[in-house]
Amino acid sequence: MKDNIEAAYSKRSKRWKLIFLMLIVIMFVTVIVALNIGYAPISFSEILSILGKQIPGLNEFIVPTAFSQTNEAIIMQIRLPRILSGVIIGAGLATSGVLYQGVFRNPMADPYVLGVSAGASVGAGFAILFGSGLSVLGFPIVPTTAFIAALITVFVVYNISKVGSRVPEMTLLLSGIAITIFLAAIFQIMQVLAPNTKLHSLVFWSIGGIANATWSDWWSVFPFIIVGIILSYFFSRDLNMIALGEDTAQHLGVNTETTKKILLTLGSMMTAAAVSISGLIGFVGLMIPHITRLIIGPDHRILLPASIIVGAIFLVVCDAIARIVTGASELPVGVITALAGGPFFIFLLRKRKLSYRM
Amino acid sequence: MVKLNVNGIDCHYGSTKVLSDISLEVKPGDFVGILGPNGSGKTTLLKSISRVLKPHGGSIFIDRDDIYSLKPIEVAKNMAVVPQDSSVGFDFSVMDVVLMGRNPHLGKFQMETKKDVEIARKAMELTNTWGFADRSIHELSGGERQRVIIARALAQEPKILLLDEPMSHLDIINQLEIMDLVKSLCVKSGLAVIAVIHDLNMAARYCNSALLLKAGKVFAIGKIDKVLTSENIRSVFAVDAIVRKNLVTNSLFIIPLSPKKYSPDKKCSIHMICGAGTGTMLMKTLVDEGYTVTAGVLNLLDSDFEACELLKIPAVTEAPFSPITDKTCDANLEMIKNASMLVITAVPFGSGNLRNLETAKEALDFGIPTYIIDEVPIEDRDFTGGKATDLMAELKAKGAIFVKYPSDLPSILNISKDKLCVLSEKPLTLSGHLKKEYESDKSSS
Repeated sequence: MKDNIEAAYSKRSKRWKLIFLMLIVIMFVTVIVALNIGYAPISFSEILSILGKQIPGLNEFIVPTAFSQTNEAIIMQIRLPRILSGVIIGAGLATSGVLYQGVFRNPMADPYVLGVSAGASVGAGFAILFGSGLSVLGFPIVPTTAFIAALITVFVVYNISKVGSRVPEMTLLLSGIAITIFLAAIFQIMQVLAPNTKLHSLVFWSIGGIANATWSDWWSVFPFIIVGIILSYFFSRDLNMIALGEDTAQHLGVNTETTKKILLTLGSMMTAAAVSISGLIGFVGLMIPHITRLIIGPDHRILLPASIIVGAIFLVVCDAIARIVTGASELPVGVITALAGGPFFIFLLRKRKLSYRM
Repeated sequence: MVKLNVNGIDCHYGSTKVLSDISLEVKPGDFVGILGPNGSGKTTLLKSISRVLKPHGGSIFIDRDDIYSLKPIEVAKNMAVVPQDSSVGFDFSVMDVVLMGRNPHLGKFQMETKKDVEIARKAMELTNTWGFADRSIHELSGGERQRVIIARALAQEPKILLLDEPMSHLDIINQLEIMDLVKSLCVKSGLAVIAVIHDLNMAARYCNSALLLKAGKVFAIGKIDKVLTSENIRSVFAVDAIVRKNLVTNSLFIIPLSPKKYSPDKKCSIHMICGAGTGTMLMKTLVDEGYTVTAGVLNLLDSDFEACELLKIPAVTEAPFSPITDKTCDANLEMIKNASMLVITAVPFGSGNLRNLETAKEALDFGIPTYIIDEVPIEDRDFTGGKATDLMAELKAKGAIFVKYPSDLPSILNISKDKLCVLSEKPLTLSGHLKKEYESDKSSS
């Protein structure tokens, strides 16, 4: 019977590739289905023709009369940027969730819970109030200040909650809450002081949604998140070692201090990028890695890529739900993730209280 | 095969100096114990050697390379560590954890190969963990997890193995199995082992050399039997211990005695007639209570005599396995006369030590209060054809007080001692070396 273990371990790489491919397929199907959802009815064949038209080489086979120009505009200018924003934001938040949980060795860590998202929104708020339209070294200013503020937040929270070489739940959650409340207060001051012209964009931040996402929004975050994801994957085996403890990781050949700093920076970068177009979307980084871990196990070499895709699927689905439940007046997607995430968070806390292992 | 050199390292946390000037050389096949009381810097030293805590001064070399100039992965190829705290963050399986030991030998994106799985399996079979390879690490008991962590260290195929309190969670059979395993790797494949060990007997049994730390400094270093002496143990741990060679395992064994209690000096001396270990416990108790204790006549090599040596109790002695001669008998009587009380333990009497009872009779005649412990009835330990039994009866007739258990004695003595000191105004007269000791005690206190 034990020989099965050896066989299973030697086939592991193949199994992981299969899982990843399956998830990619599910993601594509989800995106297509989500494109179908909305006020204007557009059939699947129309959607496929519209998408096919965009692909060079394939467009010769598409009959131009199969869809109306209005529908093409709805799909290409409204629905697709919104849904692809959902994909990239979900992927980014889930990846930073995996990174934070791995580095903190604690499954309760998440950019929202740790206050990193709040930090990013304060950073973005500053940029909106005092200098939107400017750029820093060629980067748009809003994501840049969001990133700096997120980075400061995560290192502050990490250092507050660290006890010896461990990060216990208690101090982690409490310092996260304290920082979040503090930053929320600053954000409210900004709203009060904001001139009317800028108030709208500030309020939009605090709600969290991708309803108005445009292609330019999408292009402003896509590079950050895709680079973040690729770089994170380089460290996926190191994250396994860090799960055994920082010293042990070092004993197994990981340069722990450097790795930790790189990963926290990458996580903050992705969070900031996501927040800069979507505002605060909570609990994605908490739930997705956790659920994925339950299903496929804790090995980061599959956990990380799988969480990326599951996160993307999850946010697209939540956004679709937000569009469906209220008809024309849409709920921000942050409301849906919070409705799902709040109870999940409590469930997790309760379960971990019963079997306390850290 | 690699050599480890620790050259005069210093470590401090903030302004507190934890280690100063520690040097150590470890060659293939060495099994070095790092010994010392809590807070003497053992774990800090291990952390420095394992490249986790950079020392503030000095250097650590693996062969010709300073480990702090090497990448962690280069060090990990040669050195594995079994830490004290082995909590695991996520729900990894036992097999996953052991396979992580292969990390230093894998390329950045390389998956574990069949060979790696095979090495992990071997390490698990050696540590008795293969049986639960597919279980979650969180479902294991502390001892099982400890063995998994050791398996992971072995899967690393190290040339140097550092163990920090490797046996803290293990039961006796697993302690022995793990230590035997490590020792055999040491002997057969030249693994160098550095282990922090609290149990001095385990250290004596498995280490061939040791480093004894006291307050962050090297107190003793070298071959295990040169380091583990009762003098060193007393100086470093403040505990008296008997160090002997175990005839079965041919290693040292250490019997620690309870730490000395500091009772006020009772300025009252008690002589004991004992032997065959019947007096050892009582001697220690009485010394702890603050009495001056003497003993005799004891044969050299008698276990009570060894206790006397250890507790620095003056004793009148006779050659091993020899009957008491007139000369020693007189010396003994002289010593008893200088004591304020006499205690006879439930020692068996034979022709060799029967004269001790006769001496006791003379002491009673001289007016020394005598206490006789008869845990075991004299009939059961009389090997003189009734002579000892008769003498006991005479002692009883002359006013000797019989006490059932040795543990009752101290309280009885405390009462009668007070009486004694009230009744006899005259100071106790001491003579010879006893007097000197008594006075030096007085001047020192």
